[in-house]
Amino acid sequence: MKYKSQKVAKLYFIAAIGLFVGQILFGLIIGAQYIWGDFLFPEIPFNVARMVHTNLLIVWLLFGFMGAAYYLVPEEAETDLVMPWLANLMFWIFLTAGAATILGYLLVPYAQLAELTKNELLPTMGREFLEQPTITKIGIVIVALSFLANIGLTILKGRKTVINLVLLMGMTGLAVFFLFAFYNPVNVVLDKYYWWWVVHLWVEGVWELILGSILAFILIKTTGVDREVIEKWLYVIIAMVLITGIIGTGHHYYWIGTPAFWQWWGSIFSAMEPIPFFMMTVFAFNMVNKRRRNHPNKAAVLWALGTAVMAFLGAGVWGFLHTLSPVNYYTHGTQITAAHGHMAFYGAYVMIVLAMISYAMPMLRGREAANSTKSQVLEMWGFWLMTISIVFITLFLTGAGILQVYLQRFADNPMPFMVVQEKIQLFYALREIAGFIFLSGLLIYIVSFFVGSKEPEATIEGEVVPT
Amino acid sequence: MTGMEKNRWPPGDLVIWIFIMAELLVFGVFFTAYAFTRAHNVELFDTYQLTLDRNAALINTLALITSSYFVVRAVADIRADDSRGCFRWLLAALGMGLLFLVVKGLEYKHHFSLGIDLSTNTFYMFYLSLTFFHFLHVVLGMVILLAVALKARKGGYSAAEHTGVETGASYWHMVDLVWMILFPLVYVMR
Amino acid sequence: MAQAFTKAMARNIFYGGTAFFFLLFLALTFQTHSALPELDNRNALTGPQGEMIAKGKQVWEENDCIGCHTLLGEGAYFAPELGNVYKRFGSTDAIKGFIASRPKDGVPGRRSMPQFNLSEEELTAIAEFLKYVSEIKTARNWPPNTQG
Repeated sequence: MKYKSQKVAKLYFIAAIGLFVGQILFGLIIGAQYIWGDFLFPEIPFNVARMVHTNLLIVWLLFGFMGAAYYLVPEEAETDLVMPWLANLMFWIFLTAGAATILGYLLVPYAQLAELTKNELLPTMGREFLEQPTITKIGIVIVALSFLANIGLTILKGRKTVINLVLLMGMTGLAVFFLFAFYNPVNVVLDKYYWWWVVHLWVEGVWELILGSILAFILIKTTGVDREVIEKWLYVIIAMVLITGIIGTGHHYYWIGTPAFWQWWGSIFSAMEPIPFFMMTVFAFNMVNKRRRNHPNKAAVLWALGTAVMAFLGAGVWGFLHTLSPVNYYTHGTQITAAHGHMAFYGAYVMIVLAMISYAMPMLRGREAANSTKSQVLEMWGFWLMTISIVFITLFLTGAGILQVYLQRFADNPMPFMVVQEKIQLFYALREIAGFIFLSGLLIYIVSFFVGSKEPEATIEGEVVPT
Repeated sequence: MTGMEKNRWPPGDLVIWIFIMAELLVFGVFFTAYAFTRAHNVELFDTYQLTLDRNAALINTLALITSSYFVVRAVADIRADDSRGCFRWLLAALGMGLLFLVVKGLEYKHHFSLGIDLSTNTFYMFYLSLTFFHFLHVVLGMVILLAVALKARKGGYSAAEHTGVETGASYWHMVDLVWMILFPLVYVMR
Repeated sequence: MAQAFTKAMARNIFYGGTAFFFLLFLALTFQTHSALPELDNRNALTGPQGEMIAKGKQVWEENDCIGCHTLLGEGAYFAPELGNVYKRFGSTDAIKGFIASRPKDGVPGRRSMPQFNLSEEELTAIAEFLKYVSEIKTARNWPPNTQG
């Protein structure tokens, strides 16, 4: 660890993992509710458990992104963070506000939470992923602005590498697009149109800049490949992200009362959204193949490669499967959507945060470059268990979705929603089993932090013969 | 990398070819979608195609072909180390590009004054989408050519190193090529 | 150095491409706004009826209906699509009756909708809101059939 201020990242990473566990526990609750409909009803109805699951996901990923930035920006800029005290302060504010919000969801009926937090002054609650009380949302903006100031001033002061600039652009975009969460018109079509300016332009837009820059950083550090090469390809990849993804927003504008031209524009451009993910996969494997050194942190390299592959499969391939409007007409708002969503989020964003933690945490805890072999082996077990189980979760939900689409949307005598849900129960049961295996992978992953800490670091076995 | 090898292939930088391929992919898909949709709506397309101004399209075709020729001359000049000549040919190409934009702009003005937009019918949706998307590429191509022209004027290129000129020229030719397909497909074919 | 030049070009393509497509997106957004008045049933949002619908959207949001249901296909996938429930149930009374009659402790062993204890006004409001949504002109008349 080259700069003392990088240390602030450690708290962010710990919080991220803690909230990740919470997310999965609630995921298992709602997965169980899909099977036993009245599980925990009425104390924790499905929608409450779901908002806890999704909000925890988003918040822990934000903690992860910020931790990643606080770690890599000083190193890239070759100067300490300008205000480490602010990073620490914001950590506690964000964590407290987040915890209070989650407790609010769980302890109080949602309508009452809306009243308590004076939602009526500026109503922003009650929309998917944006369930937070308005005051929490304002808090998020403040935390984001402080973060941007901290990172931005640090970059201004130091070396303005491409990685730093792309990360800064991504995080600035994240903050700017979040502002659309405050726009909540009565007109439902307008409401939905601009809601996607938060969600799509985040996960299929600026978040990919964050993903790309973190991936590039990890690859530079672990492969020793020339920065010029990596940074050039980072620009090419993010160019393709925005070139395809901006108009690609149109694939959310097929059926919500927006004009029909979006079926063409949205289909054509969103069909190309897998391209940058494909490039990322080729890029990551190429860099590792062309590496000039072996790095002792094999786990981090595994996470990095895994991220590229799973992001391509989950976001790219599974996204493509239902992005064309003639297909989407039948699959819109079904378990197909859930299947894609889970693998996309895990592959792209969960994995890149875990990759960064894998790379940085050993050094934040005093190692030179990597954990002991014992620790890394356990961590890699965690990687495989989580990754394979998410593939199965996705496959089971895809199965559920295909059957649902056929019975409810396509068949000559379509069946009611609840009847169809009954018929696809088997898939939900299988999904829940996979979910428990995912949890076991996550627990093993956490154990890996506590095992082998007394053992010596893993070492490099010999230099790579330059090609 | 010691400089320009004679007649390197592909000319210009590899990166630009990735983007050119992506561009051609989008246009290709749009054209295919047009052809497919037309096959299912022949009467509609034939009817509304008649409302298009073929003379304007012809002028535009000639403008783009001429501009591409000028760009070829510009590249030839810089290969012969003539920066001034290169600059002047590029200016001429830009002039033709401007003519294209003006003519197309007048066509759009006419359509919009009649209340025609992307939601009027499927033919107009395709016509406006395809031509506007292309229009924007002409604008972008001109921005690129202008940047190259200004650099040439300042002596930034030579016979030994003029990758930028080749790259800009390739992009412009792509824009021209797209129009060569678009024009007969949308304006002429019945 | 040709290599550095290439990175600069990739950078320019990134900035140029992003600006290009963002402008195009704005143009398409402008076109969308022009087309919406014919599609989004905004006439219903005027007058006292409009106020009732606004109240209904508020009730919808404050009870997080989207947390279980989809509305025009967006939301959670635990409970039925409600964009066309007005057509499926046939009347605002039917919708009101359904919501009001949810048992407090649910139906044993089955997915249950909470009892929200809505007032008569709130029930009317949310039913009117759902009627308004059902009259939005979605492309190809989505959803494909009455089941949602």
